[in-house]
This record gives sequence, C-alpha cells and structure tokens, in this order.
Amino acid sequence: MTAACPGATPTHIPHFPDRLFPAARRARRWEAALMDMLERRGYQELRPSLMLREPVDPHALRLFDGDDLMALRWDYTVALARMMVRRFPEPPRQIAYAGDVFRRSGQPWEPVEQLEVGCAHILEDASSRNAVDLELARILMAVPGVLGLQGGVLALGHAALLLRPLESENLPAALAQRLVWAIGRRARHRAAEALAGHPAAERLLAHTETLLQGLGDESSLTALSHSPYASLLEDERAHLHDAIAALRPMLPAGLVLRLDLADVKGLGFYTGPTLRLWAPGAQQELAAGGRHDTLYPELGRPWYSAGFCVRLTRLLDLAEAKPELFDETLTLQ
Amino acid sequence: MPTLIALQKGRIGEEVLQRLADTPLALEGKALGSRALRVPTATPGVEVILLKGPDLPRYVAGGVAALGIVGSDTLDECDADMLELADLRLGACRLSLCAPVGVDLATLHRKAHLRLATKYVRSTRAWLHAEELTAELVPLQSSVELAPVLGLADAIVDLVQTGATLRAHGLREVHVLGRTSARLVASRSACLSEPERVAPLARMLAAHLTKV
Repeated sequence: MTAACPGATPTHIPHFPDRLFPAARRARRWEAALMDMLERRGYQELRPSLMLREPVDPHALRLFDGDDLMALRWDYTVALARMMVRRFPEPPRQIAYAGDVFRRSGQPWEPVEQLEVGCAHILEDASSRNAVDLELARILMAVPGVLGLQGGVLALGHAALLLRPLESENLPAALAQRLVWAIGRRARHRAAEALAGHPAAERLLAHTETLLQGLGDESSLTALSHSPYASLLEDERAHLHDAIAALRPMLPAGLVLRLDLADVKGLGFYTGPTLRLWAPGAQQELAAGGRHDTLYPELGRPWYSAGFCVRLTRLLDLAEAKPELFDETLTLQ
Repeated sequence: MPTLIALQKGRIGEEVLQRLADTPLALEGKALGSRALRVPTATPGVEVILLKGPDLPRYVAGGVAALGIVGSDTLDECDADMLELADLRLGACRLSLCAPVGVDLATLHRKAHLRLATKYVRSTRAWLHAEELTAELVPLQSSVELAPVLGLADAIVDLVQTGATLRAHGLREVHVLGRTSARLVASRSACLSEPERVAPLARMLAAHLTKV
C-alpha cells in the first residue's frame, strides 16, 4: 500500500475511467460512424473550444492554472449555442458535434468525462418545426443500427403537455417543481400531496392521471383528450398523433416506439417533443433530445432549435456489461 | 434471468412478507429461514433480494431489480432516478422533531446554536430551509434518542411510530415534519424496455399489499 503523501495528491479524484483496447476502438469507430451518418444527412460539424469562455456554470469542472480560473466544456448544446450567437448573424441550420464534455456528475458512479455525439437543427421561423422534429426522430431511430445495438426503446414525450397547464394555472415555482418531480416519478400520491389545498388541484390531478395512463401505450393519447386541458393542448396532441403515425412504419427491426407522456425530465430546458433511447439493462438513457425553443431567445436570438445527443460513454459501458445486446460484426469490420 | 424484487429488510420487510404469504409471490419458506439474501418466490422466474434500506434504491435505479419496496424516508434521503408507483401505506410513521420533555418548538427556534441529531439529514435540511432556520446537523446512524440525553444534540429528527422509545428516553414529539410509509418503486429502464414483464408484477404486488 502506498503511503499517503499530504500535499502531493488531490483531496478528491473524480471518476475518470480509462478506455482499454476494445472500448477505445469502439469509441473511435462509433463516433466516426455516427458523424458520417449526420454528415450524409446534411449536418456540418462544429467544435466549440474545450475551454469555456462564458461565466462558469455550476455543472462545469473548474481548475486553477496559477491564478487563472478555467472551466471545461460541460454541455455541447449550450456551448454550441453560445458559439453560434457569437459567430453567426444567421445560423447554419444543421450542425453536428462529437467529443468529450466534462461535467460534475450527479451520482458518484458517473464518470465526469462523457463522450458525446449529437446534432442540432436551428430555424429562424416556426413554420417547419414539426417537420424538423420528425426528421430528428428518424435520425435517432437509425442510431442503434449504426452502432449494432440489437434492441431498444425509443420513448416519445412532449414537455408542453405539462408546461402549458402549469403556465395557465400560474403555479408558484416551488409547487410546480414538486409536481414535476412527482409526475416524473409517476408518483400520483406525491402529486396529490403537493397539490393539497390548491384551487387548481382537481384539474391538475385529473391531468396528471391522463399523463400517467399506461406507460408506452398509445391509448394514453386518447386519455389525454379527456384532460381538463385537452383544448389547450390540441396542437401538441395532434403533433404527437402525426409523429406516431409517421414514425411507426419506419421503425427498424428490434426498436420499439413508446409514448411516455410523463417524461418531464429537463422540463426547464425542453419545450416540445422529447425523445429518449433506452435499451434493456441500460442504467440510464443512451440518447436524449427534443425541442428547446427558449435556448436561443435567452441568448438574444429569435431562433427555434431542436436536437439530440448520443451518450457514447453510456453505450460503451453497456457494450462491456451486456455484449449480447450488440452485433458488432457489421460495425467493427 | 429471473426478475428481481428488492425488499427492504426490517419492519417493512416483515410486514410485506406476512402479506405475501399464500400468494403467488410468497417466498420459499426453506430459503427464507436460511441466511440467503436472494430467495425464490412461488412464481417461477421471480426472486426477492433482501437489502438494507439505503442500498435498495441503487439496485432499482441501476435496473438490477425491476421492482422494490422501500420506505419513503429512505427514498427522500437519496437522489436515485426511479419510478414510485404506489404508496402501499405499510409501516406508516411520522418523521418528527423530538426534544426533551419541557422543551417546545419555540424554545428550539430561539436557540442561537441549534444542534439536531438525525439519520435523515436531507429531509431535516429541507425542513430547516422551509422554516428559514439554520442548525448544526449531527449525522447518526442509530440510537439517535441518546444524543439529547447525553448532550450531543439539543433535539433529534427521527421516525416515530408509537412514541414508546421516545418516552423511554424522556423525549417527546414537538413537530411533525412529514409522514412516511412503504412505497412500491420500479426501475425506469425496466418499465420502459420491458413493460410486459414488469407491469403485471407491479399490479400483483400492489394488489396483495394494499388489500385491507
């Protein structure tokens, strides 16, 4: 055992796993294969600096070099958005990215270094937003095939299904946060506890029930038509209905499309349809994305945006833990 | 690969096992009497793993166990991403601020340096924040009632069922922070990717455990 040497070692070493032979090979090939796919679909690569120029976000890893405080890129979508606002008077519509982000992990077992590949689609007017949502879903549906992942679930949600009712009821932020947390856990009892005594409790609980109707069951869209907010959410319901009708016939073998109307993760960021890729045995989602129309307006540009990110680090972990889920004869030739 | 149900050892676990007796999810008696931590049920392909409360959420969040039964007090102390499908109303307790007899809430509010001993640091911190109070938290794992008696803390935040242990140590409840009970939890990954396997099992568990 090595003797501790105070002053020579950091007080805390975050989890930085090394990638050994097959994992290193996979990482390089998967990143290249996904970027090739995006390039073929018209997405141009951008690579924002690894060092952040903006005010340091609490999620970022910070380090000192002498007296200089520096922080590492912690999220591609945000780093790209800031770069776009700085450099482009008009946005390039389709952008792709690949590389590492360094993010303070929420859980001790999560590595702070995450390899990601993703894309974003930016629009200056709202008219083709629905078409872009579908295009992104179609690309995400192709991701498992590119990586040789044999099965998976693509969960389709819509942030506005909860966001708009909450706005219409003008719920205080702390209460809204409790309700969102409860719905995200599918905990009806916690939602009821949170809303106890609120004048809109009955309406919001009835709506919660419609969001929680059957995980992955299309009948939940029908249930949503009985929500007290059904007319408020008419456009969103129609969009989801059209999306399912368009996407289901194109599903590759082994991939299942499920509705997850209670997907409220990242509600402060996502504003419209959301997509998450899961696989049996995966501890966390393997890819995630959706519409985030407030991102650019918050940075001073009236642009609409949507995109997704493939979490390659999680996929690499899954390939090590459950190799039977992958057929790499096609991807690692 | 069997489907695993994680069960919290202790009072909640004992109550659950009693209610599952003579159901398709009853645990095999022979295995239950041994030191086994993984026990088959009467339903082929479904096994129960017996875990300490704080470990259980990690097994479910990690997708190792598809379902679990755990106290809400434990859930509130961790930040595990999982689904909480039902309040089973078993093992109901109060999470309470308790102080030596003769000390009330106002007295504690007025203390310049309040020291609270608790196993429930996160819930206590949330309550202090809501009350706009600050206190030194003394994290303890067991026998928390001793802390005010021996001068380690001014009061405690702990689970109270009947109050007998409190009375035995000269303590009383001065404020109820919240109510706790056993919850049926599920792995998000298992529910999304294998609903046909997990959903019927979750319904069966909830039906047997909430039957009056």
